[in-house]
Amino acid sequence: MSLSASHSPVAPWHHRVLSSLARYGLILALVVVFAAFSLATPTFLTAGNLQSLLVNNFTLLAIVSVAMTFAVSAGGIDLSVGTAVDFASFAFVSLVLAGQPVAIGLLGGLAAGAVVGAFNALLISGIGVSPFLATLGTLFIGRSVQQLLTNGGNPVYLPPSGVPDAFRFIGHGAISGFPLPLLIAIVVIAAAAFVFARTRFGRVVLAIGIQPSVVRYSGIGLGRHVAVAFILTALIAAIAGLILTATVTVYIPSSGNAFLLNAIGATFIGTTLSPLGRPNIAGTVLGVLLLSIVANGLLLTGLNFYWQQVGTGTLIFAVLAFSFINRKTGGA
Amino acid sequence: MSADIHIGDLADFTAEQSKERSARNLAAASLRFGSLIAFAVILTVFSLTAPYFLSIGNIGNVLGQSAISGVLAIGLTIVLVAGGANVVTGGIDLSLAANMGLSAAVYATVTQLGYNDPVAVAASLLTGLAIGAVNAAAVVFAGIVPLLATLAVMNVVAGLELVLTQNTVVPASTDFLTALSASDALGIPVLAYVLLGFTAVVTAIVQYTPLGLRLYAMGEFPDAARAAGLPLKRLLAGAFLASGLCGGIAGILSVSYLSGSTTGSSEMLLPVVVTALLGAVFSRRLVPTITGTLLSALLVGFLVNGFQLLNLSSTLVSGVQGILILIVVSTTTLLRKREI
Repeated sequence: MSLSASHSPVAPWHHRVLSSLARYGLILALVVVFAAFSLATPTFLTAGNLQSLLVNNFTLLAIVSVAMTFAVSAGGIDLSVGTAVDFASFAFVSLVLAGQPVAIGLLGGLAAGAVVGAFNALLISGIGVSPFLATLGTLFIGRSVQQLLTNGGNPVYLPPSGVPDAFRFIGHGAISGFPLPLLIAIVVIAAAAFVFARTRFGRVVLAIGIQPSVVRYSGIGLGRHVAVAFILTALIAAIAGLILTATVTVYIPSSGNAFLLNAIGATFIGTTLSPLGRPNIAGTVLGVLLLSIVANGLLLTGLNFYWQQVGTGTLIFAVLAFSFINRKTGGA
Repeated sequence: MSADIHIGDLADFTAEQSKERSARNLAAASLRFGSLIAFAVILTVFSLTAPYFLSIGNIGNVLGQSAISGVLAIGLTIVLVAGGANVVTGGIDLSLAANMGLSAAVYATVTQLGYNDPVAVAASLLTGLAIGAVNAAAVVFAGIVPLLATLAVMNVVAGLELVLTQNTVVPASTDFLTALSASDALGIPVLAYVLLGFTAVVTAIVQYTPLGLRLYAMGEFPDAARAAGLPLKRLLAGAFLASGLCGGIAGILSVSYLSGSTTGSSEMLLPVVVTALLGAVFSRRLVPTITGTLLSALLVGFLVNGFQLLNLSSTLVSGVQGILILIVVSTTTLLRKREI
């Protein structure tokens, strides 16, 4: 379906125009949405709002979506990214609450995230369970584990007096005026883009997603690479959990699941940017940006909060429909 | 399935093939009976520890409480059958739970506006069908991956529900709803009969008609189905319409069960997905079937109920569900691997 465009080199000109429009439909949508909100509200296009958009709407979702991009690139999906976020958040808060230094808390959080990833990797690479089912199981087990750890789902608060400076700095700090959480997100995005573009591991993961049998027959350790991809997914999601906790100084059980559907949405919207319909970091980031702009912009229009959700959903649907319809007709 | 090419004489080949087939049958049978035995063990443990557990009244209660999730899971099963086993590229309908929420909200709102039950029932079913139609159009005609298309539709539908209810519970109480949520002389809820009747009708269609056979053919062997000239687009669209209709029916059941609309429909999505996927272990060939899904919904219902009777935290249920699905899928995969 997605490959059909290359089968007919002499497609009529209007099909070619449409299919390139479809490929850049995401960018087009971004420009249109950005312009529309700039015109519709006086506050959208101000430095203060754009910074708030990036810090409050973009940062965490971008990190979780980059994580998701690793799992989807490897031909799977990770429904337990929220579980990794939660486990990291819980470990971080608990360690700091127990009087451990913040550095230990951070390491503990990452380790807790890695446990989730390792469990997924064991199921997927070790046993051969399909990623959707494996991570669905992890999501359900993780939910119960969190309830057990918190006496049936009570939040874990850090008392305002007990928040170390380093802890607060991660969530609210800035390096020469640049918010630290956003900086971390940018580093994560850049590192992920580097891995996919410049490392052997990244290329193998992409190849697994496109044609696993070829990778297997090439004598490359398929399972090993998939395992690492899923552990990386959970580790990156754990970073989002650490920042989330440092920002709100509380851990709420199963709150990380709020990212799940948006991260899937952003990753798959991003695939429209690739000619093969494959996940890619640039597409994912633009997808997150689109979701963030719409969320932030609709809030500013003062539209009824509930209509905002309808608006967001409809817009995503429209972008998808546009890209997919044209991808089909482009070569048909 | 083995993709290896066997080189050797025909006798060897067929002998090996039949050995493979019997191994596979054995594996499937052991898994199926294993899960039935596990089901029986769970029932026995609960009935020994909680005396009330196996009473007719309690079994009826479990059936009644499972009616809503059961109807939704059956709707999802139809899409799983038609779309094939691969959940990401094949059939999935993530909009089902939101569909139920909106249909319930429509029912409650319509009765609040002073219309009678038949109008409200029609409005709910039409809402469900309309959502199914949007899914069908998105998947079949626009060619969007079902996972993604129904995800977007889910967001829109959940938003519409919020707009309609302003995130409050819209109360609804009519004669029809009261009758639906009542119990009969034996203390068995009417919803229990509704679930059984609904399952019987859908089972008859999906498992025992040429239409149902075509749905399976399309899901399992799309290329063969296309070559045989089946109208794939119409069948797939029909599956999404049917699943949408199930969402509407579940909405009506939910209004009667809760005496109003619900604000928590999104919570039901993943449990329903697990229920439908888990149902495959109760079938002979480990494929999704309607009766398998009913058993799976009842298993979850009995677990929740048993935990409540034993005063165990019901939060453990999600963990048990997770472990169950992993055990089932892992054993299936390992058994298949060994025989190849």
